[in-house]
Amino acid sequence: MKEVLLTILVFSPLLGMAALLLVHGTQERRIKWVGILGTLPALSISLYLYGHYLAGHSLNVFSEKAGWIRFGDFQQIDPKLFTVDYELSVDGFSLLMVLLTTVLSTLAAVASIHIKKEWKGYYLLFLLLEIGMLGVFLAQNLVLFFIFFEITLIPAFFLIGKWGYAQKERAAFSFLIYNGFGSAVLLLVIITLLARAGTTNIEALKYLINTEGVPLVSPIPSSMKYGMLIALLIAFGVKLPIFPLHTWMLRVHVQAPPSIVMLHAGVLLKIGAFGIIRFGLGIFPDQFKDLSVLIIVLGVINLLYGAFLAFIQQDFKMVLAYSSISHMGIVLMGLGSLNEAGLQGAIFQVVSHGLIAALLFCLVGIFYERVKTTSIKDLGGLSSVMPITAGFLLASAMASLGLPGMSGFISEFMAFLGLFKADPILAAIGTLGIILTAVYLLRAAMGMIFGKPKLQVNSEAVRDMETAEMVPVFILLAFIILIGVYPAVLSNPLADTIQNILSGSGG
Amino acid sequence: MLDKGDEDAMMEIAWIIPLFPLLSFLLLLAAGRVLKEKSAYIGILLTLCSFLFSVLVLWGRIRGDTYKAEADWLNIGEAHIKAGFEVNQLNALMLVIVSLVSFLVHLYSKGYMQREDRLPVFYAYLGLFTFAMLGLVISPNLLQLYIFWELVGLGSFLLIGFYFYKEEAKAAAKKAFIMTRIGDVGLFIGMILLFWKTGSFDFQVIFQEVEGGGITQSMITLTAILIFIGAMGKSGQFPLHTWLPDAMEGPTPVSALIHAATMVAAGVYLVAAMYPLFLASTSAMLIVASIGGLTAIFAASIGLVQRDIKRILAYSTVSQLGYMMLALGTGGYTAGVFHLMTHAFFKALLFLAAGSVIHAVHTQDVEEMGGLWKKLRITGPVFLIGTLAISGVPLFSGFFSKDEILSSAWENGNYVLFGLAVIAAFFTAFYMFRLFFLVFSGRLKKQGVLVHESPRSMTFPMIILAVLAVISGYINTPWFGTFLGSWLTEGNPYLEPEHRSGPVWIMGAATLVSLAGIALAYLIYRRNSISREWLGGEGSFLHTVLYNKYYVDEFYQGTIVWLTGFVSIFLSYIDRFIVEGLVNGIAASIHKLGRLLSRFQTGQTQHYGAIAFLGLAVLVIIFALTGGMFG
Repeated sequence: MKEVLLTILVFSPLLGMAALLLVHGTQERRIKWVGILGTLPALSISLYLYGHYLAGHSLNVFSEKAGWIRFGDFQQIDPKLFTVDYELSVDGFSLLMVLLTTVLSTLAAVASIHIKKEWKGYYLLFLLLEIGMLGVFLAQNLVLFFIFFEITLIPAFFLIGKWGYAQKERAAFSFLIYNGFGSAVLLLVIITLLARAGTTNIEALKYLINTEGVPLVSPIPSSMKYGMLIALLIAFGVKLPIFPLHTWMLRVHVQAPPSIVMLHAGVLLKIGAFGIIRFGLGIFPDQFKDLSVLIIVLGVINLLYGAFLAFIQQDFKMVLAYSSISHMGIVLMGLGSLNEAGLQGAIFQVVSHGLIAALLFCLVGIFYERVKTTSIKDLGGLSSVMPITAGFLLASAMASLGLPGMSGFISEFMAFLGLFKADPILAAIGTLGIILTAVYLLRAAMGMIFGKPKLQVNSEAVRDMETAEMVPVFILLAFIILIGVYPAVLSNPLADTIQNILSGSGG
Repeated sequence: MLDKGDEDAMMEIAWIIPLFPLLSFLLLLAAGRVLKEKSAYIGILLTLCSFLFSVLVLWGRIRGDTYKAEADWLNIGEAHIKAGFEVNQLNALMLVIVSLVSFLVHLYSKGYMQREDRLPVFYAYLGLFTFAMLGLVISPNLLQLYIFWELVGLGSFLLIGFYFYKEEAKAAAKKAFIMTRIGDVGLFIGMILLFWKTGSFDFQVIFQEVEGGGITQSMITLTAILIFIGAMGKSGQFPLHTWLPDAMEGPTPVSALIHAATMVAAGVYLVAAMYPLFLASTSAMLIVASIGGLTAIFAASIGLVQRDIKRILAYSTVSQLGYMMLALGTGGYTAGVFHLMTHAFFKALLFLAAGSVIHAVHTQDVEEMGGLWKKLRITGPVFLIGTLAISGVPLFSGFFSKDEILSSAWENGNYVLFGLAVIAAFFTAFYMFRLFFLVFSGRLKKQGVLVHESPRSMTFPMIILAVLAVISGYINTPWFGTFLGSWLTEGNPYLEPEHRSGPVWIMGAATLVSLAGIALAYLIYRRNSISREWLGGEGSFLHTVLYNKYYVDEFYQGTIVWLTGFVSIFLSYIDRFIVEGLVNGIAASIHKLGRLLSRFQTGQTQHYGAIAFLGLAVLVIIFALTGGMFG
């Protein structure tokens, strides 16, 4: 069982998809139930994996491998040459990403109860998207990674384009073009690596590229390594996103249905960070080290640029979109520090922002459902009409601005801790972001929550949050506080991964 | 007789003290809607538990030794960051002050807030704040202190904005959060720098490194100043003071607890807790003293002309906090902590009494009040006691602590700061008695209010505080003994043992100055024998500048706030036209290219064949020139 558990995990949403096909398209309640239940097998398996880890067992027993594609016949030279296997494996870092994916998928499936039409198609695509996301984090070679990566694009495109708001088509195309461009660049790197090194297995590449004197099929000159690293940064920079490649995600944040943005901001964007860490830093550690100042500068730009722009947005969803850009700057800053604190902070930020962004969009979905607007100036006084929703909104704004006791603080703190060691001047400039984050989040959140109820809010008989809606909100907030109070839940699984990465960069 | 083990046992359970109010917070959050006005009892009871345990812990510390317990919290590579708690003299004292004032405020709020629908929420927030404040004072390391430091900020923010529907409350809450966060960033950076220099957040480890010469002098000064910036934000020191008077938008009991007695004193506590670091840098000490002295006189001068009873008290708080900083900066550790304690009692008393006055007359404008002495038979006398204490009238607590501060400034040899402190003392006596006479003497100017004394739940806490405002000074007097000072410095290798310093005439001079201030206020506002306008009435330049608080807010509005908006708008144009424009440009050119290439789509097979052949030929040539597939 253990040898195929990861495969079962990745493809378990197929079960839900199959069940959905048996339900008639008009049976709304049943479809939603099947859709939500369809995410549970993956959730249970990932929780089992975490329990397995907590019990002190190695995660290596889950690695699996099967021969798959073979280019040419090089059996005599090296049986592994020019082969692409089907290989999955899990370590502490990918375990956390998988947990993030399964937890957010289940919660987003619950939050999808606000979807108004064609539930069947929606949940089919939703579950397909989950397969893609899970595969991305578990794939052990670049080709397999790329395939799963592409699998995420297609359902996401349709989910945005069909179930989104007014300008959904434009947003979906924007999404596809940018991500398609990123994919193309990524594919170039993958093909080059396959052609030159004869493999795309990540561990093998780490060894082949960074060990002196190992013969490659075709030697890779140093300049080409820099080229490939920069190409990777661009490919994943689109996803993260890194300034100036960010404009597409603004549209997605605003136009996609909130339940999909939960996954998009929570998991899909995080693939960018995952890719930079796994492949950029993992395969090209020396080159990454040389470019580390550039990465930090990009991080600081992201942080401040996003914060300044979030400050003047009129639409709460735009505030959150720019806030995502700003928060991803912290990931880059942590990575660029290239020390334990920085790296740990970066990965914490990936998980933490995933949870917080999902929470915020979950709440956006809940109050949009009632007041039909996310414009800050049309809102106001939400506290009077829906005190519980307003309370949660304020709590999540606090989480987002890095209030201690919540996950955002831990990641911000560690990223800055690392950065102050690596580059105190840039770090000091970056701390401006801590203030600006508080400024723009309070402006937006208080604009909606505090003050007198505006007409827009008062005019309808608005009810507060219902129990079903409270479930995902409460669970997300509980995770955010758990990580904030007891960060060891994340830091323990990460310790080995971080050691592994840092030993690669010789630092 | 207790043996050693019992004292430790008392301190071992110190961790439970913050948990009572946390429990109150969680309970009221979950079940407030069911409990309704019963919520008050839960809050009151649980903070009473905190207070009782705090007294036990203080007793344990008086008889025993410093106690510390901690465990690993977060590992970063080789570094183990710990969490735990510590009981030393300073924080045992703080525990009692905080839990006592918090308990009294909980009790008082029962009467003051009784008509409030959101009473459970109010008590929940009070619980959250008390939890954070108690957690702050028992933190054994800087990081943990910072965590609770931010959480008290949250409590303060929530309570200032309690009347969320009021625009002023909203603005004040936002301002408080942001301005203190500006200071907090200083603390944040200072803390991280210290970590990299000493390898720890632990107070004791940091002090050992500082003393052992593990850190360069410039780094000590830099980190001390950065940490002081954090303290400035929380304690409302110039120029980060403007949020504190605005914070008066919160309910009055909150002003008493957070913005007078406890949270705003956290900055003073921080400097006191990090004192060995400050002592190691004369420049940092001078900065602390100067900012403190400047703030003391600056805020006191604004307090002279304000009309809102709570704002007068707020500026008074800012000024008194400046006093405490001045004391610490001039080496008066005991003086600073002593004044922190006496101020906590008499300022909490003044705010609660002010709340009682507001409760009675439903206005905050002192010019509309008057003649309340006869009608408020409890509030009046306790307010007078608080006023006498803060003015430094002999035999009241403020007299002794202020005398300590003046002596400390004099001993330090900084006569400019000493002079500022003396003038500020004069101002304090004047504006406090101006307030007293305007409120309690003469005739009530506001029409149509039925004045009544507050219920017992409100007067009882005031009476307790009034007693403390008188007697708390006697734990450290030149006459009977400096018990507090000796105890605080005992066994602390970084502090000099307490010795009575400063010439005796300072006590006489301080008394004269405060009596002069009282006399002037009496002549102007009671006897009306000096015109109110003798130094410039309303509309005069001096009055306008003071009334508008030296235009500091307007200055910030015109510079920092404006600049932030400007940069944001500038960047949004870049985002819209350059970043987006570039992308659109590329998209458009691809579109054009597509158009161009579509011309080749003639639909004629011959053309397609020719192009395919051409392409193949090009590939073959490239292949031949580069010498094969893999070089």
